[in-house]
This record gives sequence, C-alpha cells and structure tokens, in this order.
Amino acid sequence: MITGIAHVTVYVLNQDEALDFYQNKMGFEVGMDVTVEGGFRWLTVRVPSAPALELVLAEPKEGPMFSKDAAEKIRGLIEDGAFGVGVFETQDCQKTYDELVAKGVEFMQPPTEQFYGIEAMGTDNSGNWFSLTQQTS
Amino acid sequence: MSSRLRRLSVGRAFIADNRFEAVSLSRVAAQSSMSPSHFLRLFSDVYGETPNEFLIRLRVEQAKAMLVTESASVSDICERVGYTSLGSFSSLFSKRVGMAPTAYRRRLWAMSAEHFRFPVQAIPACYAFHFLGKAPN
Repeated sequence: MITGIAHVTVYVLNQDEALDFYQNKMGFEVGMDVTVEGGFRWLTVRVPSAPALELVLAEPKEGPMFSKDAAEKIRGLIEDGAFGVGVFETQDCQKTYDELVAKGVEFMQPPTEQFYGIEAMGTDNSGNWFSLTQQTS
Repeated sequence: MSSRLRRLSVGRAFIADNRFEAVSLSRVAAQSSMSPSHFLRLFSDVYGETPNEFLIRLRVEQAKAMLVTESASVSDICERVGYTSLGSFSSLFSKRVGMAPTAYRRRLWAMSAEHFRFPVQAIPACYAFHFLGKAPN
C-alpha cells in the first residue's frame, strides 16, 4: 500500500533563481540543498506546515537522460509555460494572492469562484504555472 | 492565511533565522505576539512538532551537510550549529539520524567517490538514475 508522496520534480530554468522564488516569495523552506558526486545539485523545497512533500527543483541539462537537444527543448517548453507545478492550498485565496502579488509573483488569473473553491492561477519565475486554491469546506 | 497563523509563521521564521543561537521560548513567542504556552500549543498543532523539535531538526540537518562537505572536527561542527555540549549534540544527532556524527561522516565519506560531496546513494535512486545515470546498487 502506498502511503504518501515524498518528492515531485519541478523543472526550472535556474536553480538559484527558483530557490529565491519559492523561498522568499512563496514562503517555502529548503528541504535539502547539497551537491552530490557527479555535480548534481539536489535541491528540494517544501511548505513549512506540510513537510512530507518536497518539490525537487531540477534544471534540465544534458546528461544520461537528456541529450543536449532534448534539454534545450525542455527549457523552451518551460519558458513557454507548457508545464505546471500543481495546486497550492491556502485558507484565504484573496489574502494570499494579495501578499504574493505584492512580492512580485505573476498571476494570469485573479481569485475566481469555481465550484470547488476560490482559485487564482500564477506562474513561478521559470514559467511553470500553478493554482492557488482555497478549497470549499 | 489568518492573522494568527501569520504571526505564528513569524515566530517560526525567527527560530530558523537564529537557529545557531541560544534563543528562549519566551523571546520566540514574543515575535509572534503570543504567550509562550499559546505559541507552543499552536506551533505543535500547526507544524506537527514543537519549536524545540523544529530547532533540533534544523541544526541536525545543517550538521549532516557540514559533516559530509567539510573537514572540520565534530566538536567544531557541534559548536557552529549551536550546541555547547558535544555529548548533547551527539545524543540528539544519533536519535535523529540513527548513528553518531562520526559514524555518519565515516559512512557517507566511504560511499562517495569524490571528497566532500554527498554520495549518490544519499538521494532517491530514481533521481540518481535520471540525472546521473547511476543504476541502483
């Protein structure tokens, strides 16, 4: 029986800039930030009140799984907004939206009533979209 | 985020920012404009750990990274992460990590092919395989 999800990959254009975004704008905290042998930077962030799930912020680079061409294509897709991180939950969508906008987070949709709650849609500083959702209780 | 949770997060951030210093619960609670008992109860309810457990976790995580990526002595690392007693530090570290600091360092150094780098075994095998081409042992 699977009991949870521990890590989810988010491809970003630059790990330093992504870390700054998730830590200083979104309010996440660093889970791990170490360089392992081979030079791969294992960088994870998590929501302080929900530390069980960590986002792995990884750059698509030429390597075992990506050819140079493939890595460049993925970077282009990130920039084009082809990928999404997922849904971030909040208790007050409008307030959190206002706070994030004040910090410079870009949104393509302000808080909007949906049948499942109130939802805003934004992007991280790589171009990955996310939803900010206040679930209907 | 409610006002109460926002104030709580200020206190939590204060702990994180001062994690290598000796900071009293009353001083942390004051950052959140709460009584120590209220702060302690709310912190545990929201984050699933006490402020002291949070502090220990941050210090141990930092110590783990330093033990692997630096050549400093264990007692030096102990002091730098905020402990004055090597015995207390070793005990807390062992309880969290499952082995003493020296044993942890020895074990990870033995696994890594590069000096002062985390071994690839320290990250989930699927990521090691994906980004470094390292097949699981």
